[in-house]
Parts: sequence; C-alpha cells; structure tokens
Amino acid sequence: MKEKQDKSLAKVNREKLEPACNERTYVPVTDIYEKDDAILVRCDMPGVTQDQVDIHLDNDELEITGKQAMNTPEGYDLLIGEYGTGVFRRKFSIPQLIDREKIRARLHNGVLDIELPKAEQAKPRKIAVTSVG
Amino acid sequence: MYWTDNRAWSPFAELRSLQREMNRLFDGYEGGTAMSRFPALNVWGNSENVIVTAELPGLAVEDLDINVVNNQLSIKGERKSDKPAENSVCHRSERETGKFVRTVRLPYAVENDKVTAVYENGVLTITLPRHEATKPKRIEIKAS
Repeated sequence: MKEKQDKSLAKVNREKLEPACNERTYVPVTDIYEKDDAILVRCDMPGVTQDQVDIHLDNDELEITGKQAMNTPEGYDLLIGEYGTGVFRRKFSIPQLIDREKIRARLHNGVLDIELPKAEQAKPRKIAVTSVG
Repeated sequence: MYWTDNRAWSPFAELRSLQREMNRLFDGYEGGTAMSRFPALNVWGNSENVIVTAELPGLAVEDLDINVVNNQLSIKGERKSDKPAENSVCHRSERETGKFVRTVRLPYAVENDKVTAVYENGVLTITLPRHEATKPKRIEIKAS
C-alpha cells in the first residue's frame, strides 16, 4: 500500500513537471483586420489571464500562447462536459513590413488584441499627379 | 438536455471520462453544427450547489441575460460585431457573432434569488445553490 501511494505521488509530480503531456492545445479563433497604418489580430482566448499570455516574435513568425486557468471546482463532479481547457496556441507569418518595435497587445474579457503597426515605408501614400503643359 | 444522476462516486469514473472523450470525437466537437450548441457549457455539481461555466469571450455584461425557473437555467445573449475601425479591411473572420440561447436542466430546483453569476476573463461562471426543500433529509426512526 505504501509503495502504491508513492507511485501515485510520483505520477502527480511528473504531470506537474511536464504540463504539456496532459494539456490539450486549442487553436484560438482569430479575426485579422488591416487598417491603413496597422494590422490587427484579434483572438478569442477565454479563461486566459494577462500573465498567462506569451507572445513570441521570431523572425517572421509570431507565436501566441495562452494558458487557460483550470477552473475545476473542488469537491464537485463534472455532470456535463462540453468543452475542455488547456492551452491556446497559434502561429502567424508576419510580413517584413511590420514595425517590430511597436507591436502592442491587450487582453480584455478573454479577447486578445495585437496591433502590428506598419513600417513607415509600407504605409500607403497618395501620389500626386502633376499635369504637364 | 437530460441526464441521469451520476453524482455518486463510481469506479467507472475513468470509463465515463473515456466515453465523454469518444462522444466528443464523434460529435464533431470542433466545427460541427455551428451555433446550435453555443456556448459550450460545463456543469459541475455536488449535493449543495451546481456550477455552470461557459466560455463567452468578448461580451459585455449587459448583453447577457440569465434566467432560472425551478431547475431550468437559460443563458441568453448577443455577441456584437467588434470591427475595430470603419476603414479597416477584414482578412479573416473566424470569430462568430450573433444571438444565442442555451437552456440546461439542472439536477434539482435551485434558490432563484441566491444564484450568482461572475463574468471574468471571458468565462461566465454561474453558481446555483440547491433549494432547501429538495435537500435530502435524514429520517430518524423511532422505536415504538
């Protein structure tokens, strides 16, 4: 019995060490908008708190990771389980015309907004037509 | 939606969770019939309370309408389009908008006026305490 207990404890610890093993990964649904001066990426990430969001830009690749808070109430049984919780992860390719220094992100009510401002040379410009003669 | 009372502990809990996983697979959990099961609900219960959670990102609290009648809970709401600016162009639109309604049958009648709902980080959590009258009572046996 003692040995059995130790084994079960060891399992719990391992799960803590390797969270990826028993966590599902979800692709957040995303809207992408383009304005004259910026590209806006809007992801649904319910149950993710600000400190659990990780936005990583590596060359052309923008990776968004958000870990959902496990809201399993103590002492309750799951009666209906229609959705699971886990980690939101999605990768995007970012064109070179983005000003990397000015990328901003905001999380509000489970919606993550990322603003990717365009670099100066990529902004649309009105070209004046001059008539000759 | 109706389900049997499976709150009692059973050695088949693991099997049941496996069954749920399988059902989820065959139900076409992702991208099945759109909106018909929106929002997805998780219902937790014990002999005192029921907790209902739903993932509803990007809603305003005033757009949510929660009603309880006896053991029926209904969640009504509307997710409005949140286009960032008038002059913006949409490249990809996966986030759905529109009105939704969802009704669940709870395992017992609840105290309507003690129901609490919290909306945090896009997750709605409703706690429904069991109605006093439906709580199990221990019957004393008197020897004559």
